[in-house]
Amino acid sequence: MIYLQLIFVFIKVGLLGFGGGMAIISLIQGEVLSRGWMTETEFVDIVGISQVTPGPIGINCATYVGYTVGGIWGSLLASMAIILPSLVIMLSVCYAYDKIKDKYQDNRVFQTCMRIIRILVVILVAHAAITLVTPTTFIDWKSWTIFGFVFVAMLLPEIPNLKSKIIHLLGNPILLILAAGVAGYLLYFF
Amino acid sequence: MFLKLFWTYLKIGTFTIGGGYAMLPLIEKEVVDNHHWIDAKEFVNMIALAQAAPGLIAVNSAIFIGHKIYGWRGVVACILGAVLPSIIIILLIAMFFREIKDNPLVEAVFKGVRPAVVALIAATVIRLAKRI
Repeated sequence: MIYLQLIFVFIKVGLLGFGGGMAIISLIQGEVLSRGWMTETEFVDIVGISQVTPGPIGINCATYVGYTVGGIWGSLLASMAIILPSLVIMLSVCYAYDKIKDKYQDNRVFQTCMRIIRILVVILVAHAAITLVTPTTFIDWKSWTIFGFVFVAMLLPEIPNLKSKIIHLLGNPILLILAAGVAGYLLYFF
Repeated sequence: MFLKLFWTYLKIGTFTIGGGYAMLPLIEKEVVDNHHWIDAKEFVNMIALAQAAPGLIAVNSAIFIGHKIYGWRGVVACILGAVLPSIIIILLIAMFFREIKDNPLVEAVFKGVRPAVVALIAATVIRLAKRI
């Protein structure tokens, strides 16, 4: 039965998906192709749409695959199944974190561990950013101009002496994305 | 509080394009700067835990915040808020994809959005690096 298969596949992906969105998408790809649920081209299209639509990429991808394979119920089951392992594991992590934090917040080893993890996070996010600098995203100087504007606008509120209301508003990611969409329309549509 | 958490994550889920890492700056803005639910350092710890655990970083962070602020009801509120926009929007697109796929207007808008998404993520690297 297709619904049971969907639940099984996406619980498995949620359970084994370390490393966030793109790691999870490669897992989904393996399952979807080996089961013959769709072709490579269909899957690549779905990944593209998952990246340019709002929300977590893994949820977008799971919903889309679920819909293609099992209609609306398939999409709901797939997105619930991919969350389920997170729910169990992350709640356990939360309980452990609260306990450890109170006991060991001033502990050197704990501090060092959290610091190392923080450094790794920065490296991981940096890697994700670099990975996204692709020819399909950066097609010409206009793309780089948009990149530059948004990058600077995001970092302006970080400068201590510049904390005015306007600069705070400039650093709002939602407004920046909407402005970039308008810029794309004006720069590429005409 | 249930509605407040739900509404905050609904906003995050609706307005962040580009997945988990692109959601981080907005999550930070909402939960640290606007609502003061956690401080900047704890935010970095949360990302670390959300990444160390399997699953989606955005969903894991929603569980962390929800649990911290309002227990299991908070978890439900944050997860629903984070994933509902995705599910609804993707369902609509999946149903009508063929019609809008080659629309030059849609393509032009996304050409502008994509480099902006990369810039948001690149800026996140610097903001996080400041707090190591």
